[in-house]
Amino acid sequence: MAVDTLPATLTTPQPPQRVARRKNRNRETLTAWLFLLPSLIGFLIFTAGPVVAAGVISLLNWNLFSAPTWAGLKNFARLGPDPTFWSALGNTAYFTFVSVPVTILVSLALALLLNQGLRRIAVFRSLLLLPYATITVAVAFVWIWLYIPHDGLINAVLGLVGINGPAWLIDDNWAMPALIAMSVWKSFGFGMVVFLAGLQAIPQQLYEAAKVDGSSTWQSFRNVTLPMLSPALFFVVVTSIIGSFQVFDQALIMTNGGPGSRTTTLVMYIYRTGFENYDQGYAAAQSLVLFGFIAVITAVQFLLQRRLVHYDN
Amino acid sequence: MSIELSRRSILKLTGLAGLGAAVTGCSTTPSGAATWSMWSSSPAERKVWDAFSQYVEQQLKVESIPTLTPSSGYPTKLDLQLVSGTAGLVTAVNGLLLQTYGARGAHRPLNDLIAADPDFDLDDFYPAIRKIATFNGQTYGIGFDVAPTVLYYNKTLLQKQGIAPPSPTEPMSWATFRELAIELSGPADQYGFTCAPAIDDLVSWIYSAGGNVMNAEQTVSTLDAPEALQAIQFVVDLFVKDKVTPPITNLVTESALANFLEGNVAFMQNGPWQVVNARKAEFDWDVMVFPAGPAGSLPRVSGSTFAIPSAVEGEELDLAWKLVKTLTSTGALDIYAEAGRNNPARMSSGSAFKPPPDNLGIVQQILAGKVGGGHPFDVTTNWNQVKQLLGQDLPRTFLGQVSVAEVVDGLKPRLDVLMQQHQDNIRQAEARKG
Repeated sequence: MAVDTLPATLTTPQPPQRVARRKNRNRETLTAWLFLLPSLIGFLIFTAGPVVAAGVISLLNWNLFSAPTWAGLKNFARLGPDPTFWSALGNTAYFTFVSVPVTILVSLALALLLNQGLRRIAVFRSLLLLPYATITVAVAFVWIWLYIPHDGLINAVLGLVGINGPAWLIDDNWAMPALIAMSVWKSFGFGMVVFLAGLQAIPQQLYEAAKVDGSSTWQSFRNVTLPMLSPALFFVVVTSIIGSFQVFDQALIMTNGGPGSRTTTLVMYIYRTGFENYDQGYAAAQSLVLFGFIAVITAVQFLLQRRLVHYDN
Repeated sequence: MSIELSRRSILKLTGLAGLGAAVTGCSTTPSGAATWSMWSSSPAERKVWDAFSQYVEQQLKVESIPTLTPSSGYPTKLDLQLVSGTAGLVTAVNGLLLQTYGARGAHRPLNDLIAADPDFDLDDFYPAIRKIATFNGQTYGIGFDVAPTVLYYNKTLLQKQGIAPPSPTEPMSWATFRELAIELSGPADQYGFTCAPAIDDLVSWIYSAGGNVMNAEQTVSTLDAPEALQAIQFVVDLFVKDKVTPPITNLVTESALANFLEGNVAFMQNGPWQVVNARKAEFDWDVMVFPAGPAGSLPRVSGSTFAIPSAVEGEELDLAWKLVKTLTSTGALDIYAEAGRNNPARMSSGSAFKPPPDNLGIVQQILAGKVGGGHPFDVTTNWNQVKQLLGQDLPRTFLGQVSVAEVVDGLKPRLDVLMQQHQDNIRQAEARKG
């Protein structure tokens, strides 16, 4: 039978330099954790905690005021036959898959325009960023006035060119496009600034090389600008989709989900279920499903980025 | 002498200040104080509640601490306070939500306190507010205001058109009302009538037609009954067919009062609580009883109450009950009446609505059953949901996008589901009491 021996590291004395290095490393690790701690505490309390709590609450019948009772998966089973949930999900998907591409196109177009060496670029940049920096509630009220069917500015302008504008926010078919238009106007500034930063970081040599190779403007844009801008594009797409799936305030203020339920979004429905109907368990179940949708879509985007996003390094 | 502060001592002081602020923020109200919450959206309203607070201190000889919150944010704040156990001993509750809170165990029934208190006379309160404050046969709140919907009219406009004002006390028939509304809508940008395209206003017409949103047992919706359909069709026709109402531009910010104050609308359906705002009008106006349908003049009667959260127990409960009695006493409600904002819930209190204009006195006469009539606003334990559902689909009929029959056909099965949920809520409340 072999005799057990202690590992060499425990039996042989370590050189003092290595001990000092390890102490140093430990101290650095501790410092790093200390720096991370405020953000970590915030994440645990305000993000991870509520997600876990939502998971638990989704398994309960809880009306907020009296003791909760166990519901198991009943709240999730209620989602299937609930037409309002599916209609809200459809409205949210409509909003997201129209507003995100349009916002990105507008942001990119403006960023390209501002990148043409315009004088007073900072002034234009600030002006164009203004809608993004303005509170949604205030902007929403202004847009309500713009959308007034008879005397509103938009229909007045359309009237000048002989177009009889729709009733916008109270029209079944136009309420959602009207919300999308307002949201694009409100949020294009963010994408524009990110794209502008990305454009300004593209080395000029690449464009010069493309020119030497005889590339047209479109070919330079297709083969130099887009690949070099793809990390910024990826970032804006991911954050815009997540933000759009959570659309709430503008819909609440401008249409309150109507006409009918044409602009009732998922977050609005979750809010009403949880805080107006006091059905916390069902609201939590809906939240988790929304979380799942966003997680899956984001995961797909991260998978696609390996093929579509070009990183310098 | 100058004091030098090192960076470390500044950090220490900041930390201590933060800790102090946190402790102050988390501190509870002093025990033995009469804490109560109420909505208040203007300096004038605040003045009324400050006077109430002084009255409470005089009567109870304890500190009165009212928490005043703008009315739009009041329900959310109340929910948070009730859930976190930081609500006052007494909270104001709108009659529309009393059943919602009662069924979920947020507030306690008051029957035991009323029965044990020979000094308290519930019969002094108008019957309508007593019904509004009742859930499942038990009293959950004591009313402080109650009022029926009335018809405001623009005297100047009627005079200009050479039309004699209808009787303030004898309700017009629907047919007469419609004829007048059409006649007064003649010139461009002048309208005969305005009301909100929502269930809150529609119920007055439904009650006056002899219908209701749900049956008496509250087990199924009766919105598809001929009476209710007739009423909805009548109002929708005023909007869509007769076009006697200002055009709807937005379903969120639509305001009957704002339309009326423009001065180009002859009649407005609204509660007398808007009298304080109507006084800002730059034309002569007055009120009259609500038009009579097939069942008579039965506009909705709404009211608000003071209630005691379920968490209040022991000695605090004694103080809470005294506080409720004081806040709803004749003395306190006289202060309320004096402010002229809404009608006090007690018959022995003074009137909030004194002339001018001439006919304001009819509000109390309606409540006392001497003139016209009224119908307490019937709600369920899930009224928010019912209102949301009706608020989604009914306005489309006012826009002429869909017919009344089509909308009601779509609403009926979903309303029936909500009525079943309401019955479940009642059963759960009984089981909890159990």
